[in-house]
Parts: sequence; structure tokens; C-alpha cells
Amino acid sequence: MAGHFNFKASVIWESIPILLVGIKYTIFITIFGLVIGFCLGAVAGLARTSRNPIFYRMAGFYIESIRGTPLMVQVMFLYFGLPLALNARIPPLAAGIGAIAINSGAYIAEIVRGSIQSIDRGQMEAGRSIGLTHVKTMLYIIWPQAFRRMIPPLGNQFIISLKDTSLLVVIGVGELTRTGQEIIAANFRAFEVWLTVAVMYLVLTMTIAKVLRMLERRLEIR
Amino acid sequence: MIKIRGLHKSFGALEVLKGIDLHVQPGEVVVIIGPSGSGKSTLLRCINRLEKLTSGQIIVDDYDINDRKTDINLIRTEAGMVFQQFNLFPHMTALKNVTLGPVKVRGIPRREAEALGMELLEKVGLKDKAHVFPDQLSGGQKQRVAIARSLALKPKVMLFDEPTSALDPELVGEVLEVMKTLAKEGMTMVVVSHEMGFAREVADRVIFMDEGVIVEENTPRELFANPRNERTISFLSKVRSPIE
Ligand SMILES: Nc1ncnc2c1ncn2[C@@H]1O[C@H](COP(=O)(O)OP(=O)(O)OP(=O)(O)O)[C@@H](O)[C@H]1O
Ligand SMILES: [Mg+2]
Repeated sequence: MAGHFNFKASVIWESIPILLVGIKYTIFITIFGLVIGFCLGAVAGLARTSRNPIFYRMAGFYIESIRGTPLMVQVMFLYFGLPLALNARIPPLAAGIGAIAINSGAYIAEIVRGSIQSIDRGQMEAGRSIGLTHVKTMLYIIWPQAFRRMIPPLGNQFIISLKDTSLLVVIGVGELTRTGQEIIAANFRAFEVWLTVAVMYLVLTMTIAKVLRMLERRLEIR
Repeated sequence: MIKIRGLHKSFGALEVLKGIDLHVQPGEVVVIIGPSGSGKSTLLRCINRLEKLTSGQIIVDDYDINDRKTDINLIRTEAGMVFQQFNLFPHMTALKNVTLGPVKVRGIPRREAEALGMELLEKVGLKDKAHVFPDQLSGGQKQRVAIARSLALKPKVMLFDEPTSALDPELVGEVLEVMKTLAKEGMTMVVVSHEMGFAREVADRVIFMDEGVIVEENTPRELFANPRNERTISFLSKVRSPIE
């Protein structure tokens, strides 16, 4: 019966509890992916500020190859490609978290590098001049100041990675998008379900944005 | 206290210091003057190895700073450095700025370091600002905190690189007062500054540098009254304010 669309609100209420399970996965993957991504990014970003050519180049290779390829391809390579070479299966959830971590890590590396390099050179010199080692100056003087500057772009990356998790649908991780797809496969209510899914993403991203603004304001005050 | 022999320093092809020989006695106050780009900052920065020497030798308090066996972090605590732009740590209170060195470099317990910090802040007249962050201090106050921060390591020498030239004129005096007190207490000081009044009052020796060499040195009285070198004469005539 073409052209006969009737909106059914009840579908929305029925799918919400199921979608909430998907949201849990989405949040879980995003947070774990970003925590690991931040560690990767911090190391790679620091390596990009280092004078050691080996660290510098290795980090550069990582950052360029991730930023220069689609996340979708990275996900499929990690889940379908790599296991063949390793001769070991990677569980979908682990592959999902891994993909988000490796992908966000490359972008976070650039955030870390930029923030560190934005700190006035005089800070390092002042630290060194009171006898702190390079490492201690980084730790007590450069990093805390740079970290403050990282917060807005990191928040941005948080939102991007959260949305990126929807791509994990291709490896069958039961996050929000996948859950929506499964509901539709059973009830064929694409309009209501995708609308609900979209609103849920929006609520998530707007909440993050709001929390970030609060955090930024508090840091401004100090 | 400081012995510099045949110091050369190049940045790439640009030779900035072209053979500097300078001895500074314990307790001596040496003021360095000279035109912009003559290498004054570079000389100070070489003394606590913020710059690597190209060739020559610098001995600070019997330590050869270029010797691999010398702990460079130790040398840096022996020679405190005060910068034109203060370079206070903006994310720490004045007191934390001062105690960071003692705590993290010397390993002094926090309590003790704070007592020392308060003592030094009092000395520079800023005891009441101990818990204030740098962005709420005036330039003169920032520089005095920076001096206290260096003193906290109990250095044997203090190096000042144009400590008052980023300050509004009315704030220069308070910083110079602190420096004069230090000088009178017998601190060995090397000061790059064009504050002629300060040089006249506290310097034991004034050095005129130009194009990477020491052109002339003498007591302030002699150098200002009877400069011998033509370059010194022309430089002095430029920086002298009409009031003097
Ligand atoms: N890190 C560096 N790399 C390249 N050139 C430098 C560097 N630092 C200083 N120079 C150059 O060395 C020369 C001497 O600089 P220096 O800062 O020692 O002069 P100065 O006498 O302190 O001048 P001013 O009175 O302007 O502070 C200048 O030509 C400067 O451009
Ligand atoms: Mg200079």
C-alpha cells in the first residue's frame, strides 16, 4: 500500500526500553575507547613534541595513517582483516572499543601536541632554571597548563567519537544504531525508530556539550 | 664565582658571542649594557645552560657547566635566573611558585618549604599575596615573586635579564629596591639592565657589550663619565635620558 503512511507513537514508547540497552553500549564503548584513546593520544602527542626522531616519526606515521583513512575501513580491517593475520578472533565489543581508541587517539594526539606547543617557551625555561628536570617541568608546569587548553577540543572529540560508534553497526556490536536496526527488522517502523534513535543521540551529545561548558566555565574561574 | 673563558655561541651560521672572557668575584655585582642583539641575553642563558655553548668554558662555583659529569640541574639551582617576562607559573599561587623548586628539586618537606616561601615573600614585600595567582598581580609584583622563586633554591649567583624592562615606569622602583637589598646582602649578581641609576648605585663593574664581544668594562663611575671606546660613547649618548 504505497503512500499510506500513518505515524504510530506507540512504537516509540515500545522501542525506548530496548534502545536504552543499546545506549548503554554506546556510552560504554565511547568512554572506554576514549580513555584508551587519550592514553594513546597523550603518548603520540608528546612524541610529536619530542626531539627524538624515532618517536617523532613513529607518532607521525600513526597519526597520518589513521587520519588519512575512513573509520569504517579501520573498523572492518580490525574486525575482519586482522584476525586472519593473527589467526585469532577479536570479539566485536573489543574490536569496537579498539577501533574507537585507535581512531580517537590520532586526533587526540594532535590536540595534545597543539596544546603543549601553545604553552609559552618561557615556562619550560623557568622550570629548568629552578633546577627541575625536563620531565618534571613537563609534569608540574607544562602539562597542567596544556591540559586546561585540551578540554574544549577533547570535549569535541568526545562528541565525534560518540557519533562514530554508530559505524560499529557493520561489525554487529549491539550499540544504539544496531539496536534500532534490529527493532526495525522486526516491526518495519523505520520512521519512528530512526527518529527515536536520532533524538537519543542528540540528547547525549547535547548533554555532553552542556557538561563541558560548565567545566570550562569552572576552569576559567580556576 | 663565575669564570668564562673564550666563550663562543652560534645559532646556525649566526655567531652571537664571539669570544667572551669574564670573571665575576663572589659578592660582585656586574651590570651588562649594550645594544639590542649584542648577545647579552645569550650570555646569561649560557651561564645556566639554557643555551649550549659552541665553544669555550664556563665555570660556575667550581663546576664546569659543559662537563658531562656536572649535574646541570644542580648548576641551575646555583645560578638563579630572572626573566624579562617573569615567566611565573600561572596555574600556581605565588607561594606555590616559590615552593615548587625547594619541594621538587631539593626534596624539602612541604611545611618547611612553605615557611621558607613565606619568609622570601616577606623579603620581597609580598607576604600578603602568598595565596594569590599571578594573573592578579601587577608586573612589579610578579617580578618580585619571580625573584623570590629563584632565591628559594638558595643560589650562589643571581642572573637578571632586563628584569624591569617589561614594567610600567612606576613599577620599576619596587623591583630595583629588592635587587639593591640583595646586592647589599652580598649576593653575586649579573644584571642585564639599562637602569643607569641602579648601575651607578650598586654595580661594582659595568660591562658594555656589542656584537658579541665585551667592548669595554669599568666601574660605573668611570664608564659613564669617561667611556673610552667610540661605540660605548655613542651607545651611552643614546640611552641616557635627558634628566640624568
Ligand atoms: N634561539 C635563537 N635562535 C636563533 N637566533 C637567536 C636565538 N636567540 C637569540 N638569537 C639571536 O642572537 C642575537 C643576540 O640575541 P640576544 O637575545 O642575546 O641579544 P640581546 O643583547 O639580549 O638583545 P636585547 O637587548 O634585544 O634583549 C640576536 O641577533 C638574536 O636574533
Ligand atoms: Mg635580551
